[in-house]
Amino acid sequence: MEKKRASLLRNPGVQTLLSSLLCILLGLVIGYIALLIINPAGAWGAITAIVKNFWNYGRTNLQLRYLGNTLVKTAPLLMCSLSVLFAYKVGLFNIGAAGQYVAGAGAALYFALALKMPWWVCMIAAILAGAVLGCISGALKSFCNVNEVISCIMLNWIALYTVNSLLNPVKNPTSPYTMGLTSVNPEAVMPSLGIEKLFTNNRYTTLAIPLAIVIAVLIWVLLSKTKLGYELKATGLNKHAAKYAGMREKTNIILTMAIAGGLAGLGAAMMYLTGFEEWSVTQSSVPAMGFNGIAAAFLGGLHPIGAIFSSFFIQHITNGGGYVDMTMYSSDISDFISSMIIYLCGFVLFFRQFMSSRLARRDEARKGGKQ
Amino acid sequence: MENPYAIEMLNITKRFPGIVANDNITLQLRKGEIHALLGENGAGKSTLMSVLFGLYQPEEGVIKKDGKEVSIKNPNDATALGIGMVHQHFKLVECFTVLDNIILGMEPTKNGFLQKAEARKKIVALSERYGLHVDPDARIEDVTVGMQQRTEILKMLYRDNEILIFDEPTAVLTPQEIDELMQIMRNLAAEGKSILFISHKLAEIMAVADRCTVLRKGKYIGTVDTKDTTVEALSAMMVGRDVKFHVDKEDKTPGDVILKIENMTVASRMHHNNAVKNVSLEVRAGEIVCIAGIDGNGQTEFVYGLAGLEPLVSGKITLCGKDITKASIRSRSVSGISHIPEDRHKHGLVLDYTLEDNIVLQRYFEPEFTKAGFLRRKNIRSYAEKLIDQYDVRSGQGPVTVARSMSGGNQQKAIVAREIDRDPQLLIAVQPTRGLDVGAIEYIHRQIVAQRDAGKAVLLVSLEMDEVMDVSDRILVMYEGEIVGELDPRTATAEEMGLYMAGAKRKEQ
Amino acid sequence: MLLLIQYTLIFASVLLLVALGGCFSEHSGVINIGLEGIMVFGALGGALMMKYLPADAPAAVIILLSIGAAMLVGIIYSLLLAVAAINFKADQTLVGTAMNLLGVAAATVFVKAINTAENPNNVSSTIQYINAKKAFLVNIGGFEFNWFMALAVALLLLSWVLLYKTRFGLRLQACGEHPQAADSVGINVYKMRYAGVMLSGLLGGVGGLVYITAGVSEWKFENGVAGFGFLALAVMIFGQWKPFRIALAALLFGLFRALSNVYTGFDFLASLNLPSTVYNMLPYIISLIVLALTSQKSAAPKAEGIPYDKGSR
Repeated sequence: MEKKRASLLRNPGVQTLLSSLLCILLGLVIGYIALLIINPAGAWGAITAIVKNFWNYGRTNLQLRYLGNTLVKTAPLLMCSLSVLFAYKVGLFNIGAAGQYVAGAGAALYFALALKMPWWVCMIAAILAGAVLGCISGALKSFCNVNEVISCIMLNWIALYTVNSLLNPVKNPTSPYTMGLTSVNPEAVMPSLGIEKLFTNNRYTTLAIPLAIVIAVLIWVLLSKTKLGYELKATGLNKHAAKYAGMREKTNIILTMAIAGGLAGLGAAMMYLTGFEEWSVTQSSVPAMGFNGIAAAFLGGLHPIGAIFSSFFIQHITNGGGYVDMTMYSSDISDFISSMIIYLCGFVLFFRQFMSSRLARRDEARKGGKQ
Repeated sequence: MENPYAIEMLNITKRFPGIVANDNITLQLRKGEIHALLGENGAGKSTLMSVLFGLYQPEEGVIKKDGKEVSIKNPNDATALGIGMVHQHFKLVECFTVLDNIILGMEPTKNGFLQKAEARKKIVALSERYGLHVDPDARIEDVTVGMQQRTEILKMLYRDNEILIFDEPTAVLTPQEIDELMQIMRNLAAEGKSILFISHKLAEIMAVADRCTVLRKGKYIGTVDTKDTTVEALSAMMVGRDVKFHVDKEDKTPGDVILKIENMTVASRMHHNNAVKNVSLEVRAGEIVCIAGIDGNGQTEFVYGLAGLEPLVSGKITLCGKDITKASIRSRSVSGISHIPEDRHKHGLVLDYTLEDNIVLQRYFEPEFTKAGFLRRKNIRSYAEKLIDQYDVRSGQGPVTVARSMSGGNQQKAIVAREIDRDPQLLIAVQPTRGLDVGAIEYIHRQIVAQRDAGKAVLLVSLEMDEVMDVSDRILVMYEGEIVGELDPRTATAEEMGLYMAGAKRKEQ
Repeated sequence: MLLLIQYTLIFASVLLLVALGGCFSEHSGVINIGLEGIMVFGALGGALMMKYLPADAPAAVIILLSIGAAMLVGIIYSLLLAVAAINFKADQTLVGTAMNLLGVAAATVFVKAINTAENPNNVSSTIQYINAKKAFLVNIGGFEFNWFMALAVALLLLSWVLLYKTRFGLRLQACGEHPQAADSVGINVYKMRYAGVMLSGLLGGVGGLVYITAGVSEWKFENGVAGFGFLALAVMIFGQWKPFRIALAALLFGLFRALSNVYTGFDFLASLNLPSTVYNMLPYIISLIVLALTSQKSAAPKAEGIPYDKGSR
C-alpha cells in the first residue's frame, strides 16, 4: 500500500496535478487573507461565494444559465491557453497570445459587421489574422534572432491600435462599442445547435463550447500522436538533437507560432461571434484574455486536457467575483485571486523538484535503514 | 631552511561513485619554476585542479602552502592563498574593456567611485614588467584571443597571485601567440612566480617547462626534469598502453571507395581561424579508418562538416559516387550516413523523450513508423523492443523509460543500436566509448568491427589511444585541423603516434 | 505648441524613469516584464501618501514624501519578481506577466476597499489627490512645469553615474553579462541581481506616480497604466540599454504619445488625417524594426533571463 502511494507520487502527471492544486489552494488562502484584512465580517461568505459561483443560485435552471455564461468565456480562454502551451512545448513563450487574440477579434468583427460575412468566414478570418501575427514573431525569431517574448509584446500593442482603427467605422454611433452582432448581421452569430437548450436558453452558449473542447483534444492528438508533434516537441526539448536528426528548426518555429496564433485568433472568434461582448474601440490596454491564457496553460500543467479544466476553473473564479457582497468588497477580488494563482505557478517547477527530492531522500533513508 | 615549495598536493585521493579520479597523486610546485602537468583526457588533471580550488574535497591527502598545511574549502580560499588560474574558457565579460575586466572584483574606489586612473597605472606597470602587451581601453570582444589571454594573466598579477595555473593555454592560440605566451611564462617565472602548466602537447612542455608530472588514468606516473628526458620518453609515460582488452578481428581487404573527401575546410565557431584545413581522405567499404588526435584539433568541426551540421568553407564530399557537399542533414542521413555523435546528450538523444522515441529519432518519418502524418505507435514499440532486445539496452521500464533516467552506457548502446540498425553505407562514430565502463566499451567495439566485417565503411574519431590501436585498420592523425600522418596500427608504436598527435612530427606530403 | 512640449516632456519623464528601471534589472540579468505592475503599485503608494498628508503641508514635504512612498512601495512589489526569479529560478516571463495582472487587481481591490470603508456608496477606484498634486506643478508663463521633469533628469544623471562610474555599476553589469566570471572574482551574483531588480522597483514606482499625476483628471486604478510599462521596455530596447540613449528614445516616444493627444492642433498633421492610433502604434513599430535589424548582434545583456545557478560553473 505504502509503496503504491509512493509510486503514484513519483508520477510526473500526479506531481503536476498536486502542484497545480497547491497553487490554487495557496491563491485562495491569500485571497481569503486579503478579504479578512479588508473586512473580517464577511470574508468567509465572500470566498465561498466566489468558489460557488453559479451554485449561488438555488434553482437548477438558473444555475445552468449562469454556468453557461462561464462556459461562454471558458472557450476563448481555453483557446488562448492552448496557444500558449502549444508554443511552450516547442520551447517558445507565446506572450503574444494576447495580441493574436486581438487580431482575431478585429478580423472576426470586421468580416461580420463591415463585410457582412457568415460566421464561418469570420471565424476563418480570425484564425488567419492570429496566425499571421504569430508568423511574424516566428519569422523574426528564425531569421533575425529576435526574442519572441519581446517581439510579441510589441505586436500586442500594434495589434491593439490597428484593430481599434479597423473597427472604428463599425462602431455604435453613440458609444465606443462595436455594433451589436445580432442586429447588424445575425448570420455572423455562431450557431447554437440546440446547445442553448441545455443552459436554460442562454443564447450565448454556442457551437464554440464543444468546438473548444474538440480542439483541445485535437491539440493533444497533434502533440502526442502525430509526426509533426513528435518533431515539434523534439525541437523544443533539444534543438541540437532535432537538427542532428535532420528536422528543420527554423520552419518548425514559424509553423509553431502560426498555429499558436491561429488558436488565439480562433479564441477571439469564439468570444466575439457569440455576441456576448462588443469591442470597445477606445480601449487602451490589451485584453487580459491572452495573459490569462498563460495562466491557464501553466495551471493545467501544460497539458491540453489539463488546460480544459484550468481554463474553466480560472473563468469560474473570475465570474465568481460577481457574487461577493458588494457593500463590503469589490468583484476585482477574483482577479486578484486568479493573478495570485498565476504568480504561484512560477513556483510549480520548484514544488515538483521539492517533491522529487523529498522522495529521493526518503528512499535513501530507507535504504540506509535496511543495511 | 626555507621550504622550496610554493604549493604541495600530497597523496591526494579523490573518488567518485564507481571511479577513482585521483589515486594517491602527489604534485609539488617549486617556487619560481614552470611545472607541467601532463596526461591524456580523463587522466585526472581537471579533478586535481578542482581539488586545489576547493571545488572538491579529497578523501585523502593534504595541501601545503609554503610548507604549512592549508584547508581549501572554496575558490575564495584558493584566491586568498594567492592561487590564480587562467581557465581554458576565459572568464571575461565580452563588452567590458580590458581594464574593467582586470579590476572587476578588486576595484580601487574612493567613496564608491571607481578610480580607474590608479588601476591603469598599476596595469601598465605590470604589463611592461612582464611583457604582457594589452590595450587597456579595448573591448574584449574586439581583441584577439591572445590579448584576451594576456588579460586573464594580468587579472592574476593584479591580484598579486604567486601561483599561476594555466589550463591548456595554447589550445586556442596561433603558433606566433604560443611563442609569445612561452616567453611571458619564462618572464613570470624569472620574476619569482610559480607556474603550473596543464597540457598534453609534448613539444611545448619540453620547450618551456622545468619539470613535468605525468598522470595516467587517475594514477601518478612520475615527475621528471625536462632536461633529463626526451619527447619519446614523456610520450610513453603519458600513453602507457597497458592493454586491458583486445578486439579480435581478422584482416580484410577493403572494397570500393564509399566516402571521398576532397580539400575540406570548415570554419571554427570559437575563433577566426578555420578549424579544419584542407583535409582530404577516403574510406573504403570494409575498413575502419580512425581519425586520431588530441581533443580540440578540429575533429569536432570535421564531423560537423561531414554530417551537414556545419557548412563547408570549401571542399567536396562524395558518398558512393554521389556529390553530397550541399545536401541537407536529412538527405545525407537517408542516403546512407549513420552518425554516432560525440556528445550524446547534446546531439544524440532527446533526453526527455522515451527510449522508443529516441530509437526512431532518425527513422520516424519512414512509412513504417508514420502513416498519413500519424505515428504508428505499435510499429515503433515493436521496433524498439526488437532493438532493445538485440542490442541488450537495459532500462527501468523498457521502451517507455525516459532516456534521461538511463545510465550513460545504456544511452550510448541505444544510440549505437539506432545508428547501426539503419544499415548505413558509412558509419561515423565519434568517441563512441567516452565515459563508459569496460563492458560497454568492449560491446561497442565489437559492434563497430561487425559493421566493418559486413562491408560497411567506418570512420572512427577517437581520443583514446587503446581504441585507436585496437579497432582501426588505418589511422589518420589530425593536428590543428590537418591530417599530419597516416599510420598502420599493426606496425605503428604508441610513441610514434604520440609524436604525431603532439605535433612534434609530421609526414611530408 | 506649448501643450505639445509639455505633454512630450511629462510622457518622456514617465518613460525615462521606467525604462531606466528596466535597464538596471536587465543589466543585472533579470528580464522585468512586470514593469506595468510595479508602476501601478508605485502610483498607489504615492497616491495614498498624497491623500493622507494634511492638505496644508508644505509643497516640498508633499513632493518628497509622496516620491519616497512610491519608491518604497515599488521596491517592495519588485521583490515578488526578485524572490521568484533569483531564488526559485521561476520563469521570468511568467512571473512578470502575473505581476502585471496582479498589480492592477490588487491595487483596485485595495483602493475600492478604502473607498468603501469611508463611504459604503463609493465603489470607485480613484484616490483623491487633486489638491496635493498641485504641489508638483509650477506655472511658468502658460507652461505647466512639473517637478517630476526635473526629477527624471536628476535620476537620469544619477543612473548614468551609478552604472558607469561606480564599483556597483561595474559589478552589476558583470552579473548580467557573464555571471560565472563575476562569481569567479568573488562577486555575489544573487545579491547584485536583487539590487538590480529593486532599483527597477524604485524607478518603476516613481514612474507610476508620475504617470498618474500627468493626466488632468483623477485616475482609475482598474485601468492600469495603459501599456506604459511595455512602452518603456520598447524605449529601453530602442535606447540599447544605455541611459542617455534611453533618454533620447523616451523623448521620441513621448513625442508620439503627445502627438496622439494633441495632433489635431497642428494643421499639417491634421491634414494628414491619420488616426491617433498611428501615433500610438509608431513607437512599437519602430522598436520592432530596430530589433529585427540589430538582434544578430544585440546590445542586450548576454545572460539576461537565465537563472544563475552557482553549481553550474
